[in-house]
Amino acid sequence: MKSKAIGLITANYKTNVPCALSKRRPMAGLPFAGRYRLIDFPLSNMVNAGIRTVGMIVPQNYRSLLDHVGTGRDWMLDRKNGGLFILPGTVYGGTHEGFRFLLRDIIDNKAFLIRDTADYVVLSGSNMVVNFDLKAAIVAHEASGNTATIVCHRASAINDDTTALVTDGDTVTALKKGVKYGDLESLDYCIFNRDDLIDVLENFADADYLSLEEAAFKSEAHYKIGYWEFDGYAAGVFDAKSYYNRTMDIRKPEVYYALFNPDRTIFTKAHDAPPAKYFKGSVVRDSLVSAGCRISGTVRNSALGRGVIIEPGAVVTNSIVMQSCVVQSGARIENAIIDRYNLIPSGTEMRGTPDDILIKEKAEYV
Amino acid sequence: MSKKECIAMLLAGGQGSRLRELTKKNAKPAVSFGGKFRIIDFPLSNCANSGIDTVGVLTQYRPYLLHAYIGNGSAWDLDEPGAGVTTLSPYATQEGMREFAGTADAIYQNIDFIEAHDPETVLILSGDQLYRMDYAKMLAAHKAHKAGLTIAVMPVPWEDASRFGILLKDDDDRVVRFDEKPEKPESNLASMGIYIFDAKLLLDELRADAEDPRSSHDFGGDIIPKLLEEEKPVYVYEFQDFWRDVGTVASYHETSMDLLGDEPKFDLYTSEFPIMSNVSTRPPHYVGPEAVVEDCLVDNGARIFGTVKHSILSTDAYVGERAIVEDSVLLPGAVVKDGAHVVRAILGERAVVEENVKFGSVDTTKDTALAGDDVVIGRGE
Repeated sequence: MKSKAIGLITANYKTNVPCALSKRRPMAGLPFAGRYRLIDFPLSNMVNAGIRTVGMIVPQNYRSLLDHVGTGRDWMLDRKNGGLFILPGTVYGGTHEGFRFLLRDIIDNKAFLIRDTADYVVLSGSNMVVNFDLKAAIVAHEASGNTATIVCHRASAINDDTTALVTDGDTVTALKKGVKYGDLESLDYCIFNRDDLIDVLENFADADYLSLEEAAFKSEAHYKIGYWEFDGYAAGVFDAKSYYNRTMDIRKPEVYYALFNPDRTIFTKAHDAPPAKYFKGSVVRDSLVSAGCRISGTVRNSALGRGVIIEPGAVVTNSIVMQSCVVQSGARIENAIIDRYNLIPSGTEMRGTPDDILIKEKAEYV
Repeated sequence: MSKKECIAMLLAGGQGSRLRELTKKNAKPAVSFGGKFRIIDFPLSNCANSGIDTVGVLTQYRPYLLHAYIGNGSAWDLDEPGAGVTTLSPYATQEGMREFAGTADAIYQNIDFIEAHDPETVLILSGDQLYRMDYAKMLAAHKAHKAGLTIAVMPVPWEDASRFGILLKDDDDRVVRFDEKPEKPESNLASMGIYIFDAKLLLDELRADAEDPRSSHDFGGDIIPKLLEEEKPVYVYEFQDFWRDVGTVASYHETSMDLLGDEPKFDLYTSEFPIMSNVSTRPPHYVGPEAVVEDCLVDNGARIFGTVKHSILSTDAYVGERAIVEDSVLLPGAVVKDGAHVVRAILGERAVVEENVKFGSVDTTKDTALAGDDVVIGRGE
């Protein structure tokens, strides 16, 4: 049945904390879990809820992001009706840190919202690693009669980068930056009545650099904003440390099965990488390995992206090695994130510490 | 429709009974191979890599999964305008309905498809072979010889030659004789079951063959001997690279093992001539804290907690703690539970070996152990 909702993903923002991983790409385009990018989570949650019209607000440096999503075919978004819409983001949103839903970015793309006739718009950021039943949230929103419903969960840790919901019964009365243990933490998914959203945009047409949430709460209309609580795995990626931790989380079976639930596939760009090859003498323990890898050396407590080559005698420990890197014989990598296309020559040592993960920026080696 | 230089007809309708339980529910070309592929990926990728964009796939036996897998051919970049992959199954006419009675009859019944594309040449392929071949080179040889039919051949060991269709050729590569499984072979050039026909000659021969009540409607048994008898220009194209028929359980297992080792006979990793497949999106595989993985291919979605040596673990395969898997092939979703021991075996898709059960034997005089799709191997089996 045709979905009553359309999606709008803000894929144009940087991290709160500047980091080498997002220097040349938006967080949404960050490679994740070997073969994915962060944008795959909001795109997949939306299409798994039956949504087939998705707008994606992109930053100026959109090359890697568009290379990944293409026409949207791998997410069933190459539609005659609806499909994937690439929407330009503002320079302001792309150069300042920490935004989720900058009002100006949405106002500039109002045509996308006006031309559709769907009842609801699901807004989403791109920082959250979560696989949840968005359709159930939309159904709950529809039953509630709310103006908007924010998807949230109980925070299990302090986080300065996420947003806490201040509630009164089933109503959200305010939002505050930063969460404490046990707070209701926003997952940066918000289901909005389309008509009400357009009203907010019109009322605040001149307010340039306000966030959508602030505008909704400041609005004179008596909007009722509710929340929908999710109790599965959800965690954000905001900086190198959280990126590292989220990747390592996937080694835990409960996280692996929660994120890669076969009933709700996380879709990504299709690749024809052959299976990973383990040569005689390879030692691999407690690690995630992507297709196309060829391993002769040692890999412990680590994650390897697609097509990584670990030569004999090379040792990778507690590290993330992204797509197409080559770790040559005798090289040692520890507590590090090696971005794509790096060649780590024989004999090189690259060591960070658990509290200070070393980052090797993306290279051009092919 | 447009005039094409060459279209391919892929014979994918046979039951594949020599693969036993592997083809119980599934046509042979749709059987999983090499961790993430299905057998039909190899000829379809060869077509795409050779610039042949129109492929008719002739299906008959249990075609559901095969049809679903092929789709519109987009996974092999074959969804070109006026081209693409078309599945061709037996159909009804005003005269009634009949099944494909042989390889030649299958093509004969789909002459409409060939005529719609109006090609100069037709490439006939089998759906049960593993090889990487640039058909454009074979086509160039066919044209250079002004051949009516070109048969791809490869040298086989003399002691095996009596298991094949054997061709004798002259110095110009023209075929002088064809012996089907000769007792005393006079050549070791075996037919690979890959043919390029001049399209007009093919259609004329197929129409004549269909009228012949004595014919068994088979390319090797009827069409080729007749062309030679009529002294039509039949040539061989000699192929030297890796080629295997994976049509039996033994050859399937042996060819799978050929993908392993430091220098495998078939290289899956070359980017020049990639093997494409219609993959499902699964996450990277996970190797547990106590796992041992040596000389293996492991695909996405697999989870390994035990010991796996000299084996292939396909998509979503699972090996439990203390389990041992050796010289085996686990097809997608196969499960080896804790403490089980699997050796020299093929586990079908989603097959399960229960805890602490031993399956298979190191004794190479015995057949490779085989569990079909969805089969559960418990104690005493």
